[in-house]
Amino acid sequence: MPDTINVGFIGNPNCGKTTLFNAFTGANLKVANWPGVTVEKKEGRTTYKGQEFKLIDLPGIYSLTSYTMEETVSRECILSDEVDVIVDVIDTSSLERNLYLTLQLLELGKPVVLALNMMDIVEERGMEIDLHRLPEMLGTPAIPVSARKKTGLSILLHAVAHHNEYHTQGPLIHHHKDKHSLHLHNHHDEYAMVYEDYIEDKIDLIINELTKSNPGLTHKRWHAIKLLEQDKTVSANQLTDLTAIIDRSYEKDIINQKYDFIEEIISEVLVNKSRQEASTDKIDRYLTDKWLGLPIFLGIMALVFFLTFTIGDWLKGYFEIGLEAFSGLVSGTLGSIHTNAMLTSLIVDGIISGVGGILTFLPNIFILFLALAVLEDSGYMARVAFIMDDIMSRLGLSGRAFLPLLLGFGCTVPAVMASRALEHKKDRFKTILITPFMSCSARLPIYVLFSSMFFGKHAMLVCYSMYLLGIIIAIGTAYVLSKIDGSRAEHALLIELPEYKSPNAHTIAIYVWQKIKDYLTKAGTVIFIASVIMWGILNFGPCGYVTDISESFGSWIGKAVVPLFRPIGLGYWQIIVALIAGIAAKEVVVSSCSVLFGIQNITTARGMEAMVAALGGLGFGAANAYALMVFCLLYVPCTAAIATIHRELKSWKYTAGILVYQLAAAWIVSFAVYHLINLLQHYTA
Amino acid sequence: MTLKQGKNHTAYQVVSINIELKLERRLQALGLTDGTKITVLNNDKKGAVTVRFRGTRFALGKRIADHIEVKEALDTCQTQSM
Repeated sequence: MPDTINVGFIGNPNCGKTTLFNAFTGANLKVANWPGVTVEKKEGRTTYKGQEFKLIDLPGIYSLTSYTMEETVSRECILSDEVDVIVDVIDTSSLERNLYLTLQLLELGKPVVLALNMMDIVEERGMEIDLHRLPEMLGTPAIPVSARKKTGLSILLHAVAHHNEYHTQGPLIHHHKDKHSLHLHNHHDEYAMVYEDYIEDKIDLIINELTKSNPGLTHKRWHAIKLLEQDKTVSANQLTDLTAIIDRSYEKDIINQKYDFIEEIISEVLVNKSRQEASTDKIDRYLTDKWLGLPIFLGIMALVFFLTFTIGDWLKGYFEIGLEAFSGLVSGTLGSIHTNAMLTSLIVDGIISGVGGILTFLPNIFILFLALAVLEDSGYMARVAFIMDDIMSRLGLSGRAFLPLLLGFGCTVPAVMASRALEHKKDRFKTILITPFMSCSARLPIYVLFSSMFFGKHAMLVCYSMYLLGIIIAIGTAYVLSKIDGSRAEHALLIELPEYKSPNAHTIAIYVWQKIKDYLTKAGTVIFIASVIMWGILNFGPCGYVTDISESFGSWIGKAVVPLFRPIGLGYWQIIVALIAGIAAKEVVVSSCSVLFGIQNITTARGMEAMVAALGGLGFGAANAYALMVFCLLYVPCTAAIATIHRELKSWKYTAGILVYQLAAAWIVSFAVYHLINLLQHYTA
Repeated sequence: MTLKQGKNHTAYQVVSINIELKLERRLQALGLTDGTKITVLNNDKKGAVTVRFRGTRFALGKRIADHIEVKEALDTCQTQSM
């Protein structure tokens, strides 16, 4: 028994490989980058029956070519001594796609153990897998595992330890219908993947040449196949001239024949596939119909929205009551033990109201992601990309970008989080850039307050115009960006449409919990700090701790930047402070206004009258109010959203760039509408 | 003809894929290359198409569908390609 068995975990992206890896290693991880490249390398250790295993988590890849960094890294690692046994993690629910990598791995000649993950999904879809026939055809153990439920783990390790000792593979039993070879060596009971005679002949010839020129070479068959594919790396290391044998690239032949073999495997191993296919075809006839597809999607989204913001807001109300009670309790307790007023204010006004304010969004986020998880797990989300692709392509965005934009009307935070479904970095950036322009629900109180104060019976129309303006700016931005980077009308959608299935409670629970945990932990830490900073700005002045906000640094900053805001009709320090405070959360603009202008119950009729009078005295009229609403619509999103944007982009530079753009857009558009309305008033008066 | 010109529920065979290498590689890794059987499922819209190849359904953007040259598969029951 070797001291330590080195096991390389490999598999397609999203096959549950990392979950399985973590199930073995727990928190026992060593994360580094592969030498020279920024692809994550994870290592962990585990023991089973006294045998020690070193596990290496390789990047998720579809094939073992050398076109991407991930593939190169994985291939080099597997070929090196770093890996004794390969564990090929398979998403069994899409066996065809995963077996392609498997066949390539088998060709390497190293021991391979298949970990059949996601068997529960296979069962849910009413399919069955012949677990006896599959290993028989591939000549390698296939162990059903569940990364989530942590089942099959010991058996897998046992297979790894066992399989490691055998260097020849078990007998292969194939029943090829018309593939009996006339070729000199019949490899059908030797290798799982046997090519047609014309390729096998060439492989034999190349192996002969390789044996002559490079006797020490291991994995000869693999090298020969790679040479036939004219693989760049392998060909570059090949010194002998083989052009007589390799007269062209046989890559496409090799791919096709691998997939032909996979079809053979599937037809023997997978039971009940066609029944599911037929029902999916039937559902797709309606859901992806030319005319019905879009209305059905919009209907579903309207329902999701309705649930999120009715049930969500209803629960949110209770959260707010609870929060109020809690902060009352804390301030009472702190008062009774004679805590310093400043510390009390920091805890109650800064931390509890800041972090707590974010917690109150939790019900909305929970329901939204619950609904999305159901749609995703049932297989519908992929269809959305298809339905929306044409419309979004015209804006230089992928079809999948529609969802985050729509969610943006609810809350920017989950919307930005949903942009993770986008495959390309550029798409993700564009979507994240324009998502905050979708007017989130937190901005509504501002519109309601100011439009009813200054626009009377047209208030509703003014509110609507905000939403419309946001959409126009978002579309305009996307359009201009796509013109700049030349990605207009990409139309390069490429997405698998899985078969429909009834959603699985466990999968959904995990998905939703992940999102909520993300929201709470990572956004929470930044929000905590931001709340403290905001509190500091509004409660400290040049003379230290102040209770009057007008002496704080906030007002000081507000007064300093008044000239900047005068051209857009917002040259009032109180308004600027309210806007600064609004970065904590947009609703805060309303409450800050009431504090700053010393008006109580600002949302009541009398409060509004007093506010209009106070503002009117300063020369703040309808044009200013409209400019303020526009500014609130477009300027930087709240701290929670900023934190989320940063987390998704993983770059302060891009995050800052987005904020600068939003500020600039807010200023320019406010400037335009302010002067336009003034002009209109001038002529109509 | 191109895949985009294909009729619903009709089987075709790929003649060539003339698109940038990156996309061609991705299609290859998914099992779509010269000679592969591909069935058009839904080509009603102006843009994207849904197809089936290698046992899986896919949605392909218009540009991809425009750049895949296909010919009608002679016998739809024939499963062995090439």
